[in-house]
Amino acid sequence: MPSSTSNSDNEVARPGFVRLTASDRPGVAQPVPERDIPVRPWGSIILATFVMFVLLIAGWEWVWRDYGVTTSYRNSLGQWAAQRRRIDTGEGDKTVLIGSSRVLFGVQLPVWEKAAGERPIQLSLEGTSSIPVLEDLAEDPNFKGRLLIGVTPDLFFSGFAYRGDVIPYYHKQGPSQRSGHWISQHFFEPYFAFYDPDFALDTLVKRQAWPARPGVHSRRPVRKLMIQDVDRNSHMWRKVEVDPEYRALARSIWSERFAGPPPPMMDTPEKLHKLVDTQVSRAEAAVKKLRARGVRMVFIRMPSAGEYYAFEQKVFPRATTWDVLLKRTNTPGIHFEDHPELQGYESPEWSHLSASEANRFTAALMPIVQHEFKAQEKK
Amino acid sequence: MVFNSLTFMVFFALVLALHAMPFKWTTKKINLLIASYLFYAAWNPPFIILLWISTIVDWYAAQKLVHAEKPAARRVWMLLSVVVNLGMLAYFKYGTFLLENFTVLMAGIGVNYQAPAFDIILPVGISFYTFATLSYTLDIYLRRAEPAKNFLDYALFVTFFPHLVAGPIMRPTELVPQFVEPRKASSQMLFFGLGLMTLGLFQKVVLADSFLAPAAEMIYDGKGIAGTLDAWIATLAFSGQIFCDFAGYSTTAIGAAMCLGFAMPDNFRFPYAAIGFSDFWRRWHITLSSWLRDYLYIPLGGNRHGEARTYLALMVTMLLGGLWHGASWTFVVWGGLHGFYLAAERILRSRFSGYRPGPFALFLFALLTYALINITWVFFRADSFGKAWMILSGMFGMNIGAAPILPTMHLTMVTLIVSGIVFAHWQMRQQTLESFIARVPAWLLSCTWAVMAFLIVIAQGDGNAFIYFQF
Repeated sequence: MPSSTSNSDNEVARPGFVRLTASDRPGVAQPVPERDIPVRPWGSIILATFVMFVLLIAGWEWVWRDYGVTTSYRNSLGQWAAQRRRIDTGEGDKTVLIGSSRVLFGVQLPVWEKAAGERPIQLSLEGTSSIPVLEDLAEDPNFKGRLLIGVTPDLFFSGFAYRGDVIPYYHKQGPSQRSGHWISQHFFEPYFAFYDPDFALDTLVKRQAWPARPGVHSRRPVRKLMIQDVDRNSHMWRKVEVDPEYRALARSIWSERFAGPPPPMMDTPEKLHKLVDTQVSRAEAAVKKLRARGVRMVFIRMPSAGEYYAFEQKVFPRATTWDVLLKRTNTPGIHFEDHPELQGYESPEWSHLSASEANRFTAALMPIVQHEFKAQEKK
Repeated sequence: MVFNSLTFMVFFALVLALHAMPFKWTTKKINLLIASYLFYAAWNPPFIILLWISTIVDWYAAQKLVHAEKPAARRVWMLLSVVVNLGMLAYFKYGTFLLENFTVLMAGIGVNYQAPAFDIILPVGISFYTFATLSYTLDIYLRRAEPAKNFLDYALFVTFFPHLVAGPIMRPTELVPQFVEPRKASSQMLFFGLGLMTLGLFQKVVLADSFLAPAAEMIYDGKGIAGTLDAWIATLAFSGQIFCDFAGYSTTAIGAAMCLGFAMPDNFRFPYAAIGFSDFWRRWHITLSSWLRDYLYIPLGGNRHGEARTYLALMVTMLLGGLWHGASWTFVVWGGLHGFYLAAERILRSRFSGYRPGPFALFLFALLTYALINITWVFFRADSFGKAWMILSGMFGMNIGAAPILPTMHLTMVTLIVSGIVFAHWQMRQQTLESFIARVPAWLLSCTWAVMAFLIVIAQGDGNAFIYFQF
């Protein structure tokens, strides 16, 4: 059917609807474009499309709920930026948690709030050294509060930043990105379990049992481990705790990383030493700026277990990493090995505390953290 | 805001609702103008000032141009428009590039010039809207178009959100007349427009972002040396990505305009089925290539002043066309290669003017054209000449001993998708999407549409910007 914008008189003269474009009319004024509307029963088509679309989405949601997925807020760039923005909008004197996923899983905001009367701002990022966020906060004069800095040895001392894009995103976030985050958080995330990056189409396709290409050493990405609340308070996904097969899968993905060759920037002891030194120097510079503003800081080494702990001990032993960090930054640190009350918690996949253990751990951690902050206030 | 964002979904629903209200036509146009400014300001509000400057300068220059009696005065007003628009473009888009090259030039003659910090953010879509507004004054100067009857129609022509930031680059004669009489989409137009938007977003979110971009990134942004297979697959992936990204944007834009009752021109005509490079440029980014032809190639003399002048005009047009895409010498080389291809084709066509290839030969020529276009994409995608040479060396089997990089999944998906795109283009090269859809059973259209919409949702795109926004 010709639309109000089509030139139906010309259709016969243009078999196959091959319409002219500006490329066919050199050096002249271009006329109002023609657009044809194919003659189809569009009303029925769109109705059938809508019904099928709704059924497909409902089926997809059912598949993932059946797999054990519950709704959760996305650990998105916008989500982190929203929490980071709190510092610049009147909450700069609060306690801020930075680190990697161990601080995300292991430090529970409700328990902290109950003990300290204040709910901290959670800015930890999975798979990411806390140094980039530490440096970002050091440059922000609005931040004058307290800082708990997570140290996961293989991330902190290598400078690895899986979520390294989040800080530039925060500083450049435009109005449409902010509104997009708001819409997502209010109308999609609380209702759709499948709306999680771990179940995105490309991730699922990648995850299939593709035949290995000889010579390509590709590591499997970490699977979904976490459930997150609206303010980024996070805990371990129940499936990791109760499904032995899934837990074994999560562990095997870690093992793959320990078995492979070291990355080129740390494949000799000299390179590794230099890398650690660089990261400690970055932390030292940032801590100096923060201290000058009166920010109180404590480093924390969260528990790990099994093969993960063994890997950390082997590649990033405490004496050449953690101890050096505390000495050079002249900052107190809480290492789980130094406090009996921080030991003996269950880490189902070796790296993160289970949900219930995280509550117990936070309750045990709080007096130590408060003691360290108070000691700095007295000075 | 980008089309593939939740913000745009809400924005577009509101605009559609507002446009369907029983307001006066002038009120509806004001609504569209305000909506378009909001659409643009949603990226970075201060840059809307540049859009206003471009709009007002060209309106004023065109008014003066119309009333000027002496040719010299007309020329001055036309030049004012050109200088202001190209000046803005030069400052914001090419400032850093010019300064870097100046520094290198100074160093070359022994002067140690230290350039001051020149950290400028490129305003989204500046290359597109400056070309649109320029065409307004140029068409009036060339007496091809009458000025808009009122400022509202003109401002809406410049700002109309479907084409504002990444085209299709519209001419005043294409859009301004559509604002004169009230326009409202029929239900057929609305439904088909929504279908086009779904198709465009499917190309962008599912094909380009989810499956093609990662393979190209692993090679072009990675540190490894690519062997033959990896270099070719990455380049083919980029050829598919840039088509799906940009044609996807254009299709979405055409659909969005159609939902509001407006018609926008085709920007792509199945370009990977092109036989030869003049055919390619009649199918790829049509509104840019025709803009460059009408306002650059023809004024440079076109083919009216002998062979040598024709080749010169062709090469200058393509080199500047390359530079239009980005402030880097790699883009200039990309344009230069296309200029060289076009010149070579022109020579071959005149030398073998009696040759009439059969269907098989045509198919082989199409494949050859596609292969040569892929060579040019290397310079378009690579961020440096070093990287481009590395990829080209790989493509021509010179990176002996290079370790494989891309996993089987990328090899398979890229091969499937790109083969599908090229096959579809070949099947569609003599027809339009509309003529094809007119022959597809209704149930199949519904199924395809629903599956595309479903895949867009489960792809869970992050709202990645379209590649052409950076140009």
